[in-house]
Amino acid sequence: MTAGPLPLEGVRIVDLAQVFAGPACTRILADLGADVIRFESPSRLDVTRNLILTDNDGMDHPWHRASYWVLRNAGKREVMINLATEPAREIIRKLVANADVVVESFTPRVMQQFGLAYEQLREIKPDLIMCSLSGYGQDGPMRDFGAYGMGLEAASGISSITGYAGGPPIRSGLSFTDPYSGFVGAGAVLTALLYRKRTGKGQYIDLSEQEAAIPIMGAALLEYQMNARLQPRNGNRSEWAAPQGCYRCAGDDRWAVISCSDDAEFGRLARAMGHDEWTKDDRFATVLARHQHHDALDAAITGWTSQRDHYDVMHTLQKAGVKAAAVLDGKEALLDPHLRARDHFDTIDQPMLGKRPVQRHVAAKFTRFEPKARRHAPLLGEHNEEVLREIGMSDAEIAQLKEDSVIADTPRIPVPPQIISMALKLPYDRYIEAGILQAIEPDYREQLGIAE
Amino acid sequence: MPDRALEGVRVVDISQGIAGPYATKLLADSGARVVKVEPPAGDYSRRLGPFPGDVPDPERSGLFLHLNTGKRSVTLDVSVASGQAVLKKLLAKADIFVAGERTSTLKSWGLTYDDLKAAYPELVVAQVSPFGATGPYAGYGGNSLTALAMSSIMYNTGNPDREPLATGGEPGEYIAGVQLWLGILAALMNRDARGGGDHVDVSIAEAVAAADEYNAAMYAFQGAIRRRFYSRHIFGYPNDIVECADGYIVMIPGATGFPSPLNPGVASPMGLLLEDVELDKSPLFTQMGERMLNWQQFDELVQPYLSTHTAVDIVMTAQALRMPFAFVPTASDLLSDDHLAERRFFETVQHPKAGELKLPGAPFRMSETPLQTAPAPLRGEANEEVLVGELGYEKSDLTVLSDRGVL
Repeated sequence: MTAGPLPLEGVRIVDLAQVFAGPACTRILADLGADVIRFESPSRLDVTRNLILTDNDGMDHPWHRASYWVLRNAGKREVMINLATEPAREIIRKLVANADVVVESFTPRVMQQFGLAYEQLREIKPDLIMCSLSGYGQDGPMRDFGAYGMGLEAASGISSITGYAGGPPIRSGLSFTDPYSGFVGAGAVLTALLYRKRTGKGQYIDLSEQEAAIPIMGAALLEYQMNARLQPRNGNRSEWAAPQGCYRCAGDDRWAVISCSDDAEFGRLARAMGHDEWTKDDRFATVLARHQHHDALDAAITGWTSQRDHYDVMHTLQKAGVKAAAVLDGKEALLDPHLRARDHFDTIDQPMLGKRPVQRHVAAKFTRFEPKARRHAPLLGEHNEEVLREIGMSDAEIAQLKEDSVIADTPRIPVPPQIISMALKLPYDRYIEAGILQAIEPDYREQLGIAE
Repeated sequence: MPDRALEGVRVVDISQGIAGPYATKLLADSGARVVKVEPPAGDYSRRLGPFPGDVPDPERSGLFLHLNTGKRSVTLDVSVASGQAVLKKLLAKADIFVAGERTSTLKSWGLTYDDLKAAYPELVVAQVSPFGATGPYAGYGGNSLTALAMSSIMYNTGNPDREPLATGGEPGEYIAGVQLWLGILAALMNRDARGGGDHVDVSIAEAVAAADEYNAAMYAFQGAIRRRFYSRHIFGYPNDIVECADGYIVMIPGATGFPSPLNPGVASPMGLLLEDVELDKSPLFTQMGERMLNWQQFDELVQPYLSTHTAVDIVMTAQALRMPFAFVPTASDLLSDDHLAERRFFETVQHPKAGELKLPGAPFRMSETPLQTAPAPLRGEANEEVLVGELGYEKSDLTVLSDRGVL
C-alpha cells in the first residue's frame, strides 16, 4: 500500500450537511483528499453529537463523546457559527467564493431562507458545484417532508420486500438509505468535478434519498410491470439460489449464511457436509426440487451447521467452493482477520477519547493513494480561527465575531451539560436483561489493542 | 441536447450480474461509452429474470434491462486466447476496464491489474469481487447475502427469536456497485491530475461494512455488543414500521417528537398526534430507555389511534407536527406515486424485444448534465460495429470467431 497524493488535493468543500447521509458523503470526499470545512450551529448541534456516547457516559461534554459523530466527521475541519446571523452568512459566502463544492442537507427552502441557495451562491462563484441531499428531493408534493434514513428505506420500497415469509415488512437494523445516499452523493460530486475539469462549468445536484435507493427495487419494479405481481417477503431465500438461507451454528446466537446458485455448487455442499447422497435424493437433486423442499433441506443443513462454529462453517464450505459467510456481530467485524488485513478500520486518535478504530467510507483499495480517515473528527469550533484567518480576517475581526456570538466554541444550550448526559445515558444493564445487547465488555480496549 | 458529464470516457466491462453492471450503468447514463463484453451465452443476469409471463428469454430479463441501460453489447469468450486477443485491442482504446471476477479467475485469463499495467499504463482496472483482491478470504465466493453477513448489519436485522434477516433486493450488490463507481471516478480524477492508471479493488463485503451505522462503533467506543431486536435502533423506540388501519407506516417521532428537557412545558408532537397531552408525563414519553424496554406498553398506548387511522392520515398529520413519519410503499405504489411522477423519476424506455418499460431513473439530478436512460442492448448487437468498425477486423473474422464459439 503506497500513500501518494490524494485525488482531491486542492479541492475545498463547504459542508453544511448534518446527521448521517450528507456527512457520509463529505467524509468520503475528505478521505479522498478534499479540505472539508463543516459548519455547526451553537444553538443546534448536529444531533449525532448525542448518539452512542463513549462508555455510555457524556460527562460534562457529551458533544465530544459521541462515536456516531466521530465516524462520519473524521478528517474534517469545523467552524461553529450561528447561521441565523448575517455576518455568519457573509463568512459562508466568502468561503464559497474560494471553494469548489457546497454540500448541504437541510430540508428544501432553508438554504433559500439563509440567502445561500445555489442561484445566489453561483453569483459569487460561477463554476460552483452544489449538492443538496434531502429525503424526497427539491420539488414535488413531498418536498417539505421531514425525513430520516430509517423511514426512507421504507419509502424507497425496500422494506416491502424485506421480512420473514408471511410476516410484516421489516426495516434493516440501520438507517439504510443514509450511508447509501451518502455514497451516491460522493459519486455525483466526483462526476460533476470531472465535468467541470473538462468544461469549466459547475452545476447543481438534487439528490433525493428516496430516489437514490429505488434502483435497488429494480427487479421488483419490473416484476410488477411484467407480471402484475408483488415480490413477496421471503426471509433469506432467493429465486436465484437454492438452498439459500441463514443457518444456526454452535454457540449462543451464532449463524452462517449459505447460498448455492446451481447443481454443481450444491453437489460441493453435499460432499463437504458428508452427505453425497443428497445429490441423488429426488427432493434435492435439481434446483426446482430444492426450491420445493427447501424446508426439509434447511433442516438437513442445520443438522450439520449446528454442530460447528460459524467461522468453521464458512471456511469449510468456502474451501469446498460453496458461498458461505459467518454472520458477524459488531465486535466480530472489528476483529475479523480479513477486514483487518485489508485495513477496513483505521485507528484515529480522537481528543479526549484516545485511539479508536473507525471504518473506511471509501471501500475501494487503490495502488497509488490511500483514502482513509486522516485526522480526528473536529471538536466544536475547533478550526474557527484557522479558517477565518485563511479568508483574510484579522484577529480583531475574529474577536469581534466571538464577542457578538457569531462564532463560538461552546454550545448555547439552556441546561447544564450534565443534565443532557443524564438524559442520554442508556440503561444498558437492563438492555442486556431484555436481550437488546449481548454484553458489555469492560476490557474492550485491550481486546482491540487500543488501550493507552 | 444537454451535455454529458463523462463524454469521451471509454469503458470496457466484462462484469456480470449486479454490482459491476450497476457501476457501469451509472457511467453510461452519465455519457461514458461503455462496451459491455458478454460471454457468448450472455451476462448471467439475462437468465435471472423477471420475465414477462415467466417465460425465460435472454432479451427480456427485467434485471438485465434495468442494469445495462445505455451500453453497447459485444459477445466474447474472454476465457480463451482468441477472445483475450480481441479484448486487449478493446483495452488499448479504453480508459477503464471493469471486471467482476476474483483474482484467481482473472489471473488464469491474464487480465489482472498486474498483468495489464505495463502494456496499458493509463488504464484504470476496476475489479469488484466478493471479498476483494487481497487478504485471507480473497479466493472466497459470495454475493449480497454473504456481504450483509460479514458487515454486522444482518446480525442486527430481524427478530430476536428468529434467524438474522437479509435486507431485500440484493442491496449488498448495489452498495458495492456504487462504491466501485465512485472508486473509478476517484481514479479518473487522479489520472487527470497526475497521469497513470490504477487498480480499483472493491470487496462487496467491505462496501457493505462501510455502511455500518454503529454496530462496530458500539464496541469500539463502549465495549457494547448489540444484537438484533426487531431491527430497532439502540437509541430509541419506536422508529419502526407499524400496522395501521389500511397498511403500514414508519413511526418516527424524530428529535423533537417526545417531551424534551430542552423544552419544558411544551406539548410534545407525539402527545398532540395521539390527542392526549397528558401522555407527556408518562415515563414512556419522557424516557427513551423506558420506551425501549416497555415497548409493548407503548404499543398499547398508540394502537387505538393507529388501528383507526389510515396511512395517509397518520403520515400527513405527523408531518404537519414536524415528525418524519414515512410511508411503506410496494413496487406497485412506487410506480403510481404522485410525488415521483411529478419529479419524473421513472424513465419510460422502448426496448426492441421487451417493449415499453418504466425503469428507475437517475439516482440524482444534475442541472447541466442530467443522466439519460437509453434501452439495454441485445446480446452481441454491437459485435460488427465494434470489431469491424472500430477495431479493424474483417467481417470474415467475425464468422471465424463465431464458428469457434468465441463471439
